[in-house]
Amino acid sequence: MKKNALRKLRANFLRYLLLAIGTVVCTLPMIYMISTSLRPNGALYEYPPRFFPKWEALTLENYQYILSQSKFYLNFLNSVFVSLSSVVLAALVSSAMAFVMGKFHFRGKKLLFGFIILTMIIPGTTMIVPQFELATRLGLVNKLAGLIPFYVAWVIPFSTFMIKGFMEGIPDEITEATYIDGASVMTVYGKIALPLAAPAIASVSIFNFLTAWEEYPWANTVINDTDLRTLPIAIAGFFGQHQFTQWGYVFAMSVLTLIPVVIVFITCQRFFVQGLTAGSVKG
Amino acid sequence: MVLKSRLNRVQLAVLLLPGLFIFGMFTVYPIFRLLWMSFCDWSFASMLTQPFIGLQNYRDVWGDGTFWTVFVNSIVYTLVTVPGQMILGLFTAVLINGIRKGSVTFRVINYLPVITSWVIASLVFRYIFNTEGLLNYLLTNVLHVTASNTRWLDSRWGGMTVAMILGIWKGVGWNMVVFLAALQQVPMDLYEAAEMDGCGAWKKFCNVTLPCIRGTILFALIMLTIGGFNVFTSIKMITGGKPAHQTDTLLTWMYYKAFSTGKFGYAAALSFIMAFCLGLLAILQFKTMKNKDA
Amino acid sequence: MSTIKKILAILLSAVLCLAAFTALAESSETPVTINFWHHYSAQSAENETLMNDLIPKFESENPGIKVNAVSHEWAELHDKILVSASSQSLPDVARCDIAWLPEFQKMGVLVALDEAMPDFADVSAALLDSAMSTAKIGGHYYALALNTNSKILFYNTAMLEAANVAVPTTMDEWVAAVRALSGANANGQQVWGWNEPALSGWNICPFIWSFGGSLTNEDQTVATGYINSEATVKAVDTFAALVKEGALTGFNSGDIPMTDGFGTGRYAMMLEGPWKTAELSGAYPDVAYGTAPIPAGEGGSVSVLGGEDIAMFNTANQEAAWKFMQFMTSEYAETAMAQCGQIPVNKAALESDTVKNASYAPFIEAIQTAKARPTVAAWSEMDNELTNAMTAVVSGEKTAQEAMDELAVVFDQLLAQ
Repeated sequence: MKKNALRKLRANFLRYLLLAIGTVVCTLPMIYMISTSLRPNGALYEYPPRFFPKWEALTLENYQYILSQSKFYLNFLNSVFVSLSSVVLAALVSSAMAFVMGKFHFRGKKLLFGFIILTMIIPGTTMIVPQFELATRLGLVNKLAGLIPFYVAWVIPFSTFMIKGFMEGIPDEITEATYIDGASVMTVYGKIALPLAAPAIASVSIFNFLTAWEEYPWANTVINDTDLRTLPIAIAGFFGQHQFTQWGYVFAMSVLTLIPVVIVFITCQRFFVQGLTAGSVKG
Repeated sequence: MVLKSRLNRVQLAVLLLPGLFIFGMFTVYPIFRLLWMSFCDWSFASMLTQPFIGLQNYRDVWGDGTFWTVFVNSIVYTLVTVPGQMILGLFTAVLINGIRKGSVTFRVINYLPVITSWVIASLVFRYIFNTEGLLNYLLTNVLHVTASNTRWLDSRWGGMTVAMILGIWKGVGWNMVVFLAALQQVPMDLYEAAEMDGCGAWKKFCNVTLPCIRGTILFALIMLTIGGFNVFTSIKMITGGKPAHQTDTLLTWMYYKAFSTGKFGYAAALSFIMAFCLGLLAILQFKTMKNKDA
Repeated sequence: MSTIKKILAILLSAVLCLAAFTALAESSETPVTINFWHHYSAQSAENETLMNDLIPKFESENPGIKVNAVSHEWAELHDKILVSASSQSLPDVARCDIAWLPEFQKMGVLVALDEAMPDFADVSAALLDSAMSTAKIGGHYYALALNTNSKILFYNTAMLEAANVAVPTTMDEWVAAVRALSGANANGQQVWGWNEPALSGWNICPFIWSFGGSLTNEDQTVATGYINSEATVKAVDTFAALVKEGALTGFNSGDIPMTDGFGTGRYAMMLEGPWKTAELSGAYPDVAYGTAPIPAGEGGSVSVLGGEDIAMFNTANQEAAWKFMQFMTSEYAETAMAQCGQIPVNKAALESDTVKNASYAPFIEAIQTAKARPTVAAWSEMDNELTNAMTAVVSGEKTAQEAMDELAVVFDQLLAQ
């Protein structure tokens, strides 16, 4: 017995040790980014390079610079606007589609759903050329509105797929009882299906938010104006300017961009896991 | 259930159509448009006429040396990062599944790289792997592993290595969460039965865990393969394809051809080849996993 | 069958709505806003001057016209203009590298100013003829000259003294100096005698020309016998040899950026333009440096002619755009930009005290002997090919002769188009 307990203890110790190493690997680059954002630009090529800046060299000047630029707030608001609009719109249309496809039978349903899923194998960026042409024809180039429908279309397959699994799990007795009471499809969708599927919709929405918040290639292609840029393009915009890169500014802005995401993630991490579970087990 | 009333049919259509409309217009239409464009001479010079030229774009892609370079890059990237992420992710999931205290904390920490945007993560890695950067200082001056600074970002495989390390670093967390969810569904009595038969930890893992989570492995495999071919932002930010397009991948090369040189027809053909390959791969993966069932 | 019909119906409705959208998108238009694209970098003094001084002044002088200035990175600006041309979303006015104009002109997106603007002769008379010639293609003027420049040698005084190296005046001395200045510093860090931040024509041409080589014939119709001539190959070979010896770097993704490396004493010398003075005094005020003309080889001391023109696109609001172009080339704007390192081409601005006091003399001297990159529509493609060929040579994949022979064939094809 004693031997067994000892072995368990050792195994546990090993687990925590390995997880601790994993933690270091996961967070080190981020910590280095934060520490770099806290040193003056001139100290970037100091010798010897340091992981943490000297105490007396710590400075908030990079943050002050970024926060003093009205452009930063515009970029931030643009990102918030685009991400939230895409999330809400995607949640509405995909939950409705998932409800209809999960709870009703109609001819061609399987084929339609299969086709929607099939498009998931085509990476989003592959279609950037025809999508750009489409955006041009619709007059969506260089407009924030030019981002939203594409982001929504992009996340529809995955969202519908995830929410549909959840909708199918709603017992038919509940919905049928409501129909017998004389309710219409709309009422059942709004009053019963939506609230019951809320956890799935929430988890999918968090994914969609992340997708839209960090999207780079499409936004970089469609948006020209400085005032309309989203955060990822604004950060990338620090690059290639002449022959020097102000890493301090780049990383200060990156940290400010990451904060909302980390907050969203930590407060909602419960939904995150639930959503993933539903998809992967059924998939 | 089937609802017969007309009102309900209308309402069903109202629910279904907005999503289908957006999806149809912004995803389905571009797919077909892409196919058509790949058969047309479509460049800055022939913007207005866009004559049909059959398979010429496909021939151009086929005969282009750089295409094969970037094709190999994409394949290598996928072959390295997909198993890398899955093995490390599964390993982390097993570790977290085995502990009682702090599992939520470790889960959150391991997921942080996933929520870090590609642009930011790529810039951080570029900074770390800079020839004069911290990593080289550590390797050369502190640990004395290397005699002089390694030029990580300057060569084809150096740049690809950095991109692949980033890909794995950023992807482990997602795999961890997916596998953790699957591990928690494995019935405990199977483990107990295996223990009765005198199986060790490794045997239990091979004989019980792996077969039980096969569905999840397939799911992860397909999603990650798509993700591997979708690599774009990290390459663009870390090396920008330098030197001379040797670190470009299919998508960054496609983007360069389209938006820097205006060869839209070529880019469309390239995109279509890529989508076709991915479709084949997905079917193949599906088939292999299914066969193992038998 | 019915599913196929359904999919068809979906597609059809998509197309219909697309048409409706397009119609809607074309209707609304607000008071005049001019979109002005440029590549003054976002954190630069030039951009500050543009945003806080020039545009407010222009807008107050011209009520009813707003200027929306958009900063792009240099290479990206070129690509964005090409793509925008195809998507009908061109800006009204752009500040273009003089090397791009033939390409844009060939695409038919530029306005021939001497035809469209009745007062063109008066406006262009205020600008230097030599600079205006960069905007002349096939007998018509497609832009106004905005600023001019060239590159000269910058050297770190302390490093040259420490190595006991004199400022090189010939290419042989240059090679010896670059070698002598390379090695390790007191910290044991590698230092390089020369920095070259890229391998494109802007970077390589000064060496090719100074060594007595050339890219094409005088008429810019043939490259064989020029880009692979003995002198050109020698220039490329010398350059590549220095790279391989570890004496020359800067064009790799992992290298220290030029200004940082020069400012922190890791690069001893570089070839740079007038904007570098302002940049160095901003980021590295402590570094002591001197300047000199590019060392002379068999071909003399030949730098590369740079500069930008301001051009109008054919989708522009021509009246407002023309006003803005006149303003940007006016004495006031050119003098203001001169303080940030942009050498004016406005004759009156050149006479002003600000400009006379600025240390532009060495640059203006370099401009006298500088050459322009080939003024052909295919230049951007040629430039890409040149970069690829140079990459192959410095990596040792090909010899200079092989790479230039192959390049000559490609150039000939591009020039023939």
